[in-house]
Amino acid sequence: MKQFIFASILLSTLLFTACDNKDDNKSELAEVVLNFTANYDNDPLVMFERTYNYEADMDLKMQLLQFYISDVRLLHDKDGVTEEVPVLDIGLINFGNVYNDADAAKGINTAAVSIPAGTYTGLRLGFGVSPELNATIPPDYPLGHPLSENYWEDAQSYIFFKVEGNADLEPNGEFTDKLTFHVGGNNNYRELSFQKNFTVEKNGQVTIPVVVDLKKILIASDGTYVDFRQVKQSHSNTSPAAIFMADNVPQAVSVK
Amino acid sequence: MKIKILSLLALAALLVVSACKDDQGPSGCNCTENDLIEAVYDPQPIELDYPERFPKPIIPEDNPMTAAGVALGRNLFYDPILSSDSTMSCASCHNPQLSFTDGQANSEGVLGMRGKRSSMAIFNLAFNANGFFWDGRAATLEAQALAPVEDHLELNESWDNVEEKLRQHPEYPALFRQAFGIERKSELTRELAVKAIAQFERTLISYNSRFDKVVWEQQGWPTDAEQRGRDLFFVEFATNTNDHPGCSHCHGSALFTENRYFNNGISNVNDLNGFPDKGLGGITGNIYDNGKFRAPSLRNIELTAPYMHDGRFNTLEEVLDHYATGGHGVINEDANIQPFTLTEQNKQDLISFLKMLTDTTYINNPAFQNPFE
Repeated sequence: MKQFIFASILLSTLLFTACDNKDDNKSELAEVVLNFTANYDNDPLVMFERTYNYEADMDLKMQLLQFYISDVRLLHDKDGVTEEVPVLDIGLINFGNVYNDADAAKGINTAAVSIPAGTYTGLRLGFGVSPELNATIPPDYPLGHPLSENYWEDAQSYIFFKVEGNADLEPNGEFTDKLTFHVGGNNNYRELSFQKNFTVEKNGQVTIPVVVDLKKILIASDGTYVDFRQVKQSHSNTSPAAIFMADNVPQAVSVK
Repeated sequence: MKIKILSLLALAALLVVSACKDDQGPSGCNCTENDLIEAVYDPQPIELDYPERFPKPIIPEDNPMTAAGVALGRNLFYDPILSSDSTMSCASCHNPQLSFTDGQANSEGVLGMRGKRSSMAIFNLAFNANGFFWDGRAATLEAQALAPVEDHLELNESWDNVEEKLRQHPEYPALFRQAFGIERKSELTRELAVKAIAQFERTLISYNSRFDKVVWEQQGWPTDAEQRGRDLFFVEFATNTNDHPGCSHCHGSALFTENRYFNNGISNVNDLNGFPDKGLGGITGNIYDNGKFRAPSLRNIELTAPYMHDGRFNTLEEVLDHYATGGHGVINEDANIQPFTLTEQNKQDLISFLKMLTDTTYINNPAFQNPFE
């Protein structure tokens, strides 16, 4: 009987200890922030103020680059298996108010999100609105939520990304031609995966720098490009320009 | 003896001080002993009536909707007591029959002087998270309602006077108590007045146009012209070319606006400092916001001529003619202001569609009319 009581106490102690450990794990949290900056080749992307050299003697000034990111996850290895830690369902990254180099360098941060402290090996994110969320509509969200706007009724899709600006096509220094490219549709959603090794301590914060190069959205790695003398606007899920730009997204986004 | 005199003086002083305290309310008003308000405070919450296709309305936590609050707000909206000479009310520039506009390019105030902007239509304000007025300078409806009273070009009255007039009024103190539970007239403030006006304005919801009936509720069919106009408005490949009106970029969603700010290309200025009215830029101080104004909803647009922030266009035809030109090439013109081919047929089709957005049940809703008539 004494042995039974002793064994019971031991078992209870072990169970409580296990519970304590679990609580410890829960409290061992850190924070992660994604910092987005945008470039045009080697220059910071600044609205209105900068002129960017484009292909075939065309020059650009930008008014807007904005895009959704979806389904952001961090990766870590556990016993040889890669596990995903969810970070963010959806975010809208808008560079439309970046007017100088300092703001461009500062970039745009996502809200800090709690993650377990530990070692991570990578980052996955969707560029655009994930098909699951793209099946929802703005009234599903409160005003101010990223998905409360930027919706195409007739295409039944959010506008995943927008590129807007002015072009000097002559070139003569006059940026009189307006460019507006809006891309959406599940066919243009792109899932991106990056290797990124980092360790974040308990109560620590890690910032993951994500860089978007607009030039690489407009010009493919084989040198083909959106010819603004031929097309100045595209608001379609299926136009050649929309698909071309969406296909260029993987080469345009990187993690430093 | 000396002690008795001193005691009497002290007592007298105490009485005087007490009397002064009684006469002065929390806000320092000249209230009398009948400062107490006799009325029952029994707030009845009300729910806004809006369709599922609209976003959820914004109701501030410190200003919940009640029947008494809305009723008070409606009275205040239509009552010239808010103006310095008791000739004008909010409704003077916001006539329900014109979707709460006044048909003027810029409105005339009590001093006979005109403002620089056109009065904005009022409806679906509960769904705006992006600021009020043409330039977005008021973050909330409550903040918006504060401004016209003291604007010399509008009601030209001081809020101090308005508060006093309302406190001395035979009915308003009771209405304020019913709405907000105040016990004394001295607690009647401008903050409560604008809360009531905002409550009334949040009930002003328009969603029963022919467009709503046909498209959302599937009652009936559009005419051929309306359908072609709708395609031109929403569908970017409706013209089989790249040149299309692109209206929905600024006037999208079930509200026909997302309450964003744009330079829509109406001003031909040499540079960004040249705008006669800086609009949003005058508020933010950002030069690239100069010439930007809030894109209003196109619901009830048939009723709200003249158009634009300064009322420069008298007809929808003129508006469409402007947009077809693609603006003036000012650097911060919205990139979606692109030239497009506007045939006479396209123009009439678009106007047929825009007239589908007229909601006569809204403008004739008895709950929104002048309670003093």
